[in-house]
Amino acid sequence: MKDLAPNAWWAALWLATLAVLLALPFVANAYLVGVGLSLLMWLALTQSWCVLSKMTGYVSLGHVVFYGLGAYLVVVTWQRIPLALAVPLAGLAAAAFAALVGLPVLRVRGPYFVILTYGLAELVKYSVMAGEAASGTASRILFGTPDLTVVYFMMFGLALAAVALLTWVSRSRFGHGLRSLRENEEAAETLGVPVVRYKLLAFVLSAAIPAMVGAVMALRSTYFVVGQVFDPMISVTVIAMAILGGGDNARGPLLGVLFLGLLSELLWASAPLVYMIVLGVILVVFVLLVPDGLLGLLERRRARAPLA
Amino acid sequence: MSTILEIRGLGKRFGGLTALQDVSFSVPERGIVGVMGANGAGKTTLFSLIAGNARPSSGDIVLRGRSIVGLRPDQICRLGVARTFQIVKPFPSLTVRENLRTAALFGSAGFRRAADADAANEPLLGDIGLRAVADQPASTLTLSGQKRLEIARAVASGATLVLLDEVMAGLIPTEVARMLETLRHLQASRGLTLLVIEHVMRALMDLCGHIVVLHHGQLIAEGTPQAIANDPRTLGVYFGEAV
Repeated sequence: MKDLAPNAWWAALWLATLAVLLALPFVANAYLVGVGLSLLMWLALTQSWCVLSKMTGYVSLGHVVFYGLGAYLVVVTWQRIPLALAVPLAGLAAAAFAALVGLPVLRVRGPYFVILTYGLAELVKYSVMAGEAASGTASRILFGTPDLTVVYFMMFGLALAAVALLTWVSRSRFGHGLRSLRENEEAAETLGVPVVRYKLLAFVLSAAIPAMVGAVMALRSTYFVVGQVFDPMISVTVIAMAILGGGDNARGPLLGVLFLGLLSELLWASAPLVYMIVLGVILVVFVLLVPDGLLGLLERRRARAPLA
Repeated sequence: MSTILEIRGLGKRFGGLTALQDVSFSVPERGIVGVMGANGAGKTTLFSLIAGNARPSSGDIVLRGRSIVGLRPDQICRLGVARTFQIVKPFPSLTVRENLRTAALFGSAGFRRAADADAANEPLLGDIGLRAVADQPASTLTLSGQKRLEIARAVASGATLVLLDEVMAGLIPTEVARMLETLRHLQASRGLTLLVIEHVMRALMDLCGHIVVLHHGQLIAEGTPQAIANDPRTLGVYFGEAV
């Protein structure tokens, strides 16, 4: 019974977020729709990142590699294959890429994994850059992209899919195995968790959605510069939102995305330089003082409150 | 009595160091077999080889007539073998109940749903004396509690062969007595086979029907506790050669 009230509160937050984001394109101006789109994008990216990094403790600093690959795939196939095919294909390609590099990459843990994933993303970025330079393309422009509302609802679908994915993983037997290996990999394996297969599967699952997000964002910006779609700041922002949110279910990233996403919109407009400083301070404070994030704060407060 | 586990000429080298050499013995179904030996005798290495955490350099490990050498630890666990770790390895931020859930979901017990796993583990929480702390994170347990959790997790996996690695080390005498009682109860009520490494000699003599003695990686004696206690080779290892 004691869980009923907070659950109702959470349902209300989810429904309110859903309703506002769903209604936005019909009632708001282009600027606000843009804000909504960026919230949806961060929601999809952060939730998918958590499937690997929050569940298994393998913190990836290279989530952007999938985003960039997805964007690149849609851009090079633009007007050659239909969009309805290109976007899922981007997701599949990224998943295949994760499956390919996952086995060697997931052999290292802790800070080594962080650095390796960062390096991998940079390697892919410079490889694509070199390829583009060799073919004589500095940047690409997309003509005839779908309008903002269509892009918005594609992103809405991806955000929903990412939330559903993390919710399923976090409640499943698979997710319990991931949590166990995060806590102690050797003990988990000795108790029957197929750790290598599970880590790889989590990596592959976390790769598909960001690639499709990258594909859809390429339609939004209508031009393509390698350095922008592989920008490491995207990976860093995702981690910041996940750390801020805390927890290993879909609730934490929702809090982190809403908080940081809205804060950045407020500050970007008025004081873009201050934003980076504020972001840095918030991160330091959270890592040092609130390691389990906003979700942890809420849960601790609830645990301390007298039961009604 | 039929044999559940057979160790045949088992050897393990780490580079130039020979940790185990030509060790052979067998473990009867539902038996309690003790493994004795000084530090560095190769006891924990033996467990690591059986559980699949390390691969033998030579010899064979046969479980119910089937060789398990080369299988991964998770595969061996699903065949009904579970080990505890001498240096406990709990899942610290998961609760005691969630720790046991992992074992029941992924071990040979093979539950598919968390609720079923938890229900099956409920009596075990009582047997092992962890019910009061079932919803606390494992990191909050005392050493004695964490040792109990190690055993409970191994049993919750549904294993029929449980390898206990110094689960009584560091416990005070009253805790040792309680632990012995718990182990006997678990063994009898669940029909377990136990392979026990222990430095608390009284406990080992008390618990086991059969004891093997390792020394510098070699099996130097085996037999009933009484025979082992009077065996000159054992005495030589523990107290030095008679002059």
